[in-house]
Amino acid sequence: MKHSLCLVAIFAWLALFCAPASGAVSGDGKTAYAANTAAEPAMAQMPDPTDESAYDDDDDYDYDDEPFGEERVTISDPLEPVNRIAHVFNDRMYFWVLKPAAVVYKAVAPEPVRISVKNLHSHLGYPARFLSCLLQTDFTGAAEETGRFVINTLWGIGGLMDPAAGKNINLEKQDTDLGETLGVYGVGHGFYIVWPVFGPSSPRDSASFIDEYLLYPPFYIRPWYASTALTALEYVNSASLRIGEYESLVGAAIDPYVAMRNAYVQYRMKSVQARQARSLLFKEETAGPPEVKEAEDEN
Amino acid sequence: MKKRLTRISLIFFLVAAFPPGALAGGMFGPPQTLSAAAGGLNTAIGYLYHEDTYKNHPRHKMRHNIIYSQAAWGKSGMWEIYGRLAAADMKMSDAFRSCLPAAMNIGSEFHDYWKFFGTLGAKGFYPVNRFFGGGIFMQASYNPGKYTDETPVLYNGSFFVADLEIKNLWDINLGAGLQATLPGGIRAYAGPFVYLARADARMSHNIPGLPLGTEKTFLKNKSPGGGYFGADIPLIRGFRLNIEGQYTSRFSAGAAISYVY
Repeated sequence: MKHSLCLVAIFAWLALFCAPASGAVSGDGKTAYAANTAAEPAMAQMPDPTDESAYDDDDDYDYDDEPFGEERVTISDPLEPVNRIAHVFNDRMYFWVLKPAAVVYKAVAPEPVRISVKNLHSHLGYPARFLSCLLQTDFTGAAEETGRFVINTLWGIGGLMDPAAGKNINLEKQDTDLGETLGVYGVGHGFYIVWPVFGPSSPRDSASFIDEYLLYPPFYIRPWYASTALTALEYVNSASLRIGEYESLVGAAIDPYVAMRNAYVQYRMKSVQARQARSLLFKEETAGPPEVKEAEDEN
Repeated sequence: MKKRLTRISLIFFLVAAFPPGALAGGMFGPPQTLSAAAGGLNTAIGYLYHEDTYKNHPRHKMRHNIIYSQAAWGKSGMWEIYGRLAAADMKMSDAFRSCLPAAMNIGSEFHDYWKFFGTLGAKGFYPVNRFFGGGIFMQASYNPGKYTDETPVLYNGSFFVADLEIKNLWDINLGAGLQATLPGGIRAYAGPFVYLARADARMSHNIPGLPLGTEKTFLKNKSPGGGYFGADIPLIRGFRLNIEGQYTSRFSAGAAISYVY
């Protein structure tokens, strides 16, 4: 219970630093970087102060060429020195602890077993995904999640299998969380954080800890070391199914920290954009190119 | 042909090597297995209302509501092994009925709530042609739960509370079936089966007139065998509905919905 209250207090504190999208600016032009989005339009409109070309040739804009063209957005990284330390710590944790454990686990547990463990972990995440869908006013997604939960519980051996994702039933998992829910409502990233052990995040996306812990039933298993062991198993199991992905990302990058930050923020922005497109409240705003709306208004 | 028979014999040998499983473990299903030709999994949930007559000195009608979840693996539509996790309640008529006028009890029916148990089974199928075929199956269940109930008894002016405990329920079923494939992919089937069902019973007080005394006694099935029939109907999106009736000394019926991966 104390853990829960501490987590909530931390999120509340972080939320104070998490500016809404309309007010998000980069703190430092040198540490800011660009990513694709239409989900955070206010951020997208902020010109890069180091880029002089952003202030001239206004007449050269040609919206017809790229109605869905990429827009530039920025994210501040005021904690970069601390984040880099956390990044190195996580990197060492991966190569020294997680990967060796995952390699041994992979050798012991056959792939169907590891996929079943992954399925069960995903199955138990239903309350969080269902709540996020409801909060995003994505009622179709909430219904699909509930359908998946029922089918996988009854015909998926309690969630070990995932028949709902099969070609016959084809109910997609709504891969969303409370961080994305805040994003759907226009809350910006805030700034970039690398949490030790947990990895890349932002004040907004740190709300996902609520999904991963408070809304995750195994978190309440007592004694505490049983739930901790389960969490460790999930980490190792997940890593065993993705050995090589992290190595590819950091191996190809000149600066792995920046590569990781870019990949994370772009992924999250696209996820928020996709969730907005499913939201009953916001999908009208993201439904089509601007000129189509303008034409409709003129008519 | 010889190879197929060898496979079927092997399955039965393997299943016979299993320790006997539990009481009425659920439905038997159609002789033809559901799994994909290349091999694969199918799962099911089911419900069976089961009635049977057990005999010791007097006879007792035993009733169960059984729900179960099944996972099965098979290949080529020819053979399949399956396991079930199930739960069943129990009612037994006349468990506390006294045959002496001096012993008067309040309520004669034994009743206890859901206990978990497990079932293992295997089946083999041989298709005669596109429409007809036959198969055999073996299914065994074991219920480790203790069913208990108590009744107050007035005997010669004194009150007793008699506790009855029924435990170690198990059964083993062996049967054969014929199957016809009807239009629409419906599989109708019927066949005979033989079975053994046992349970241990023990009463806490030796009350004269009550049939189940303090000595450990065992209950066994009255009929050695019976018949079963049913239909397996394709639904949408890989689901199938199986309805089945079983008759021994009493009639039982159930339904299951299966999903083929």
